This record gives sequence, C-alpha cells and structure tokens, in this order.
Amino acid sequence: MELDRRHFLTAAGALTLPAVLAGCGFAPSSSGPAASGTDTLSFTTWGTDAELAGFRTAIAAFEKANAGSKVALNAVPYAQMFTNIDAQLQAGNPPDIFRVPYYTFGSYAGRGQLLDLSPKLPSGFSDRFTPQAWAAVQNKGKPFGVPHHTDTTVILYNKALLTKAGVTDIPTSLDQAWTWQQFENVAQQLRKSLPADRYPFAYNWQGNGVTRWLSWLFEVDGRFLAEDLVTPAIDSDAGRKAVDFTKSFFANKLVPQNSSVKSTKLAADLWYAQTTAMNFGGAFLIPDAATSLDFEWGATYSPRNVRSASDFGGNALVATAKTKNPDLAAKFLDFMTGAEQMKGFCEGASLLPTRRDLSKDGITFKVRPELSPVFLGQASTVLPRDSGQVASPSMSKIITVLKDQLEQAFVGGQDTATTLKGISDGIAQATAS
Amino acid sequence: MTSSRARLSRRESLTGYAFVAPNLVLLTVFVLVPLVWAVVISFQQTNGFGAGRFIGLDNYARLATDPVFWRSTANTVLFTVIVTPVSMALGLGIAVLLNSVLPARGVFRSIMIVPMAISGVATALIGVLVFDQDTGILDKLLRSIGLPAVNWQSGGTAAFASVLLVTLWWRVGFNMLIYLAGLQAINLELYEAARLDGASGWQRFRYLTVPLVGPSSFFLLILNVVYSFQVFDIVFVMTGGGPENATSVLVTYAYDNGFVTGDQGYAAAIGMFLLALTLLFTLIRWRTSRTRDLVE
Repeated sequence: MELDRRHFLTAAGALTLPAVLAGCGFAPSSSGPAASGTDTLSFTTWGTDAELAGFRTAIAAFEKANAGSKVALNAVPYAQMFTNIDAQLQAGNPPDIFRVPYYTFGSYAGRGQLLDLSPKLPSGFSDRFTPQAWAAVQNKGKPFGVPHHTDTTVILYNKALLTKAGVTDIPTSLDQAWTWQQFENVAQQLRKSLPADRYPFAYNWQGNGVTRWLSWLFEVDGRFLAEDLVTPAIDSDAGRKAVDFTKSFFANKLVPQNSSVKSTKLAADLWYAQTTAMNFGGAFLIPDAATSLDFEWGATYSPRNVRSASDFGGNALVATAKTKNPDLAAKFLDFMTGAEQMKGFCEGASLLPTRRDLSKDGITFKVRPELSPVFLGQASTVLPRDSGQVASPSMSKIITVLKDQLEQAFVGGQDTATTLKGISDGIAQATAS
Repeated sequence: MTSSRARLSRRESLTGYAFVAPNLVLLTVFVLVPLVWAVVISFQQTNGFGAGRFIGLDNYARLATDPVFWRSTANTVLFTVIVTPVSMALGLGIAVLLNSVLPARGVFRSIMIVPMAISGVATALIGVLVFDQDTGILDKLLRSIGLPAVNWQSGGTAAFASVLLVTLWWRVGFNMLIYLAGLQAINLELYEAARLDGASGWQRFRYLTVPLVGPSSFFLLILNVVYSFQVFDIVFVMTGGGPENATSVLVTYAYDNGFVTGDQGYAAAIGMFLLALTLLFTLIRWRTSRTRDLVE
C-alpha cells in the first residue's frame, strides 16, 4: 500500500487521539494508588504534616503486622478532598478507605455509600470508645465508620492583652469555667481596654465550622433535632437564648464584624494577627501557634451555662460500600483505633483520642504538653445526644440553613424569632428531602 | 474516470473528517455530553449520589421563589454592567497613552500585562492581602492619611466594590493589549489629515480612534460579558459570596448548591438559567452585529 501524506496524517491523528484523551483523564490509567490487588487497600485523606506522618507510621505498622497486605496512602489537599471523593463515589471507583469529618459522615452513611461495619467488627468493639464518639459514627443504629480522633473548642488567649485589661482570674479547671455572664463581663472588660480596631475575641464558626455554634445551644441544654433526628427542635427557649447571646457579640462589638459565619476570614487568623485577644479554637492549632506566634498565650475552658458543652470535632475513618476487600478494610479500621496507634497519632498531631482508656488516662501532646488536660477536659463535656444529632444524614443541608440564617442574624439585623423560624423551617425541609 | 473522481472526493472527505475528528470528539465529550446531562439533571431531585428522581420543572419553579438566586442574578448583572464598560474604557485609555511616544513605554506595557499571567485564585489572594479590613494594606494607608478605614469584608457595598476593583486590576491589562493591537493597525495618515483639518485631540480620539478600534471593542465586549457572567474564582476566594450574599453571583451560588449542599439538580437548573442568559446576550449581539454590517 502506498503511504502518501494524507494517509500518514490520518493514521497519525487516529494514533494520537487515545493519547490526547488519556492525557485529559478520559481513558483509564493503569498506574497510581488506585490500582489494587486483593490485599491492597487504597486510603484517601488530607492532613497536616504531623497527621500524615502519623498515618504513615500507622500504615507501616499495619503492613508489618499483616504480612502481604498493603495500604496505598493517597494524600490530597483538603480543598479537593470531598469534590474528588464525591466524584469517585458517583463514578463507582471510590477508595477503599477515606477520612471524613463527623459533621459530613451522616451524608455518606445515610445515602448508602459506606460499609456497614456491624458484621465485620469483633464483639465488644464499641466498648473501646467513649459513648459520644461511638454515637458520632452511627446511622440507624449501625456503625458505618470508626471514630479515629476528635478535637474540640477551647479559648486560646493572649496573656499580655488579658493582663492589660485586668483579666487575671482565668479558669484552670472545668468546673470553674466562666459562666456566660462572667465571659461577657471579661469580654466587656477587654472591649474597654482595647482600641476600636481590636476585639475581645473571635469564634471559629466560619464556613462548615458553623456546627460549632451548636455548642452555645447545647450549653443551655437545647437541641436542634428532636430525638427522632428528623423533627426540628431549635425553636425553643434554649434556641432563643443561644441566638440572642451570640447575636450580642456583634451588636456589642465584642467580635470583629468580618468574623461572621459566612466570612472567608478565619477566627484563628484574627488571633494570630492580634486583632483579637481571645480565640475559640481547637488543639490542631497548637503546633502552628507554638512555632509562629511571638506572644505568650494560654488556653482555658469554653464558657458554660446550664452545663458545659463543646463540639465533637475531628474525623472518622470509613470504608466504602463498594470496597473489594471489606474484611481487610474492617481489619485496618480496627488496627487504626488500637490504643498504641491512636495514642501515637494524637500525641504527634495534637488531637484528642476517642478511646475510653486514653480519654481517662490522658495523653500528652508533643508540643505544649501542659495544655493537654484543658482539651481533654473540654472534650469530656460532649454528650452522645449532642454528637448523635450532628451525625444526621441531612447535616450538609442543615449546615447551609444555619449559615444563611445566622449570617442574617449576626450581621443582617434579622431578629431572633425570624432566625429561629428560618432555621426550624430549613431543618424540616432538609430532613424531609 | 467519474468513479475515480468520486473515490478521490470521498477520500478527501474522509481525510477532512479525520482532521476534525479529535476536536469533534473533545467537543462532544467535554461540552455537548455534559451540557445535555446537565439539562437532564436539572429536572431531577438529587442527593449527591446515585440516580436522581425526576421532578419535572420543580427546580425551575424553586428558582422563581428563591431570594438568594435573584440576589445572585442581580449581582451578576450589576458586575457585568460595571466591569465590561469600565475595563474597556480604562483599557482603551491606557492603550492610547502607551501607543504614544512615552518614555519607557515598554516597561509600562509589561506592568499592565503582568496581571494576565497570574491565575484568578492567586489574583484573589493578592486582593485579600490588600482589602483585609484588619491587616490589609489599603485600610492602613487610608488610616495613615487620616481617612476612615473601610469595612471591605463586612460591609456589603464595600465588599462588592473590592471584588470589582480586583477584577478590573486583572482585566484592564488584557483590554489594553487588544486595543493596543487595534491602534497599531490604524493608518497614521488619518490622524495627520484630521490635524490639518483642525481637529482637536479629543475630536481625533472621539471621531477617529473610537470608531477605528470598533472591531477590537466588539471582540472585547463579547469576552468581557461572557467572563463576567462566569465570574467565580475572585468572588469565591475574596468574599465567598458574603457578607449576607452581597457578592454572591450565579456561579458561586450554583457551586454552593452543587458541591456544598449536594443539591446538584438545583445547581444544574441555575446553570441552565445562566446558559439562557448567555444565549440571550449572544442573540442580541448577533442581531446588532448584522445591523452594523448593513450600515457599514
């Protein structure tokens, strides 16, 4: 056959096409961590350097303890994590294991995307965890993940700014935590002492952190979902108190106006820049704060009202419903929540354990170890009925409702009754769909 | 003879198809299929995973009664109406200036074009550093000269203005570049003739420059409008649509619904509305384009 220019170009075009498509990600790739044998698990997560180091250590220990098993760690930036996971779940090729915050756990478990672990885990497995941690990974009474670690919110404070304002009596135990009234007095004292462009504190409710606003509701013994986890329960006296009190932060200029729930400015950044004297933040901030802040700082407990409360932050580890190796996946989740692994991970990454024994005996952070009891004490105030509500399958929609309504209340001047009705109606719609 | 010609013609056709095939395949896979799919999804109620449930026009009916959607539409239109003419006017003004005998004009041209080389997200991050109302450079500058600081992040109008200013900084260089190319194609004899006829500097600009860069203006009008309809990165990074939805635009609102709330059906309906808006503009542009051709 005669090979002329046209034939050559046609053939070249045909040959190049698959390469172009493969380059665009259209054709399947045969390499990368997704490729898995029968004894290989793919594990997708995001993490700080300390967290990823902790995961790598634990994976090496798992592979050593289970000869022939491999875990391919796929570390991705947090910003891409769930867009990727959702796309992979929809396309039917998700990883075997992934890491998920408790407040979005429900949206995966409730929609049949996760592996029901109840037949795979040894009997008495749940006993190793605190009740609030175990409640956070339940869906319709069955476990769809393991609580890998938690984190919670305490007050981090700038010592010099508090001293200058005359605030020297700082709580050193949970039962001495400031009441709402005492906390307000401290904030007012700081307001008088600070210049107009500096503020007493900022709260970490920006973005999906809006679930942390619920701590104020829990502190007055309120609920946002009734016990059936479907009916809205926020339009209550407790709800009114929580909205009124948190609205007053903005009205009284106790927090920066650009620290509302829809702000792109994070509370921690405001504190780092010394725009605020106090910051509500988690233990995960400790390593960065210890190395980068040039002022003296400490930590104390979150305020209390009827009771102390806090957010059940942190993440679960889950196996996907379509994993080809459910037994190995369950074994890995079991291993990752063993005492030795959890202790090493939490101490290294400044996070809190979910195991009963470690919560009771305590752990010691590698950085600022003296702050460990404050975070452990605060974490003990989370009740199973609080964390159970946040595990609702409708939580992603409820988060949007909370963001919209609280933004209107905090910086839009919307009154408390309208705000509560808006949240209540929004929750009813979210749980009905 | 005839059959040989027919065979040759067929072979030529096949070769032609082979050449356009890669583009057609890419266009089909990445544009047409997703477009049709989005239309289908817009008629469904979805929960983020698996197949959706057909609910007819419910998502579109919901659009009509959703105040955030209308706020986002109004913001998108306002953004387009401001960014398009202002970036074109500034672009033309600077291009005229840099087309004249100006010392170090090469340096100035480069400075104007640099923002084009920066991604939208990076541009927005620079915007955050400038407009941060606690630690930003701009408020510090305002305070240092005795002016009151502006609440760029917590004030609705100021936040919208900050997004506009960063967008203009990003877009003006591109507008200038296109206008500069247009200006350099104009015959200088026309200006000389106008000067001999006694035309002032303004008259030469108004009656010579502006009409003669008409094709560039037309091209930029389309690009600026399409870009403005699709604005996302700068808003997403700088304000996230806040405060109180003051900077929410259609694409950020669709993103929130599709990827945060997991309501992809509703997000697709917003996307379809944006498509309709773009088609409407295209239709108007096409009509005015034909009319202008007839006049010329």
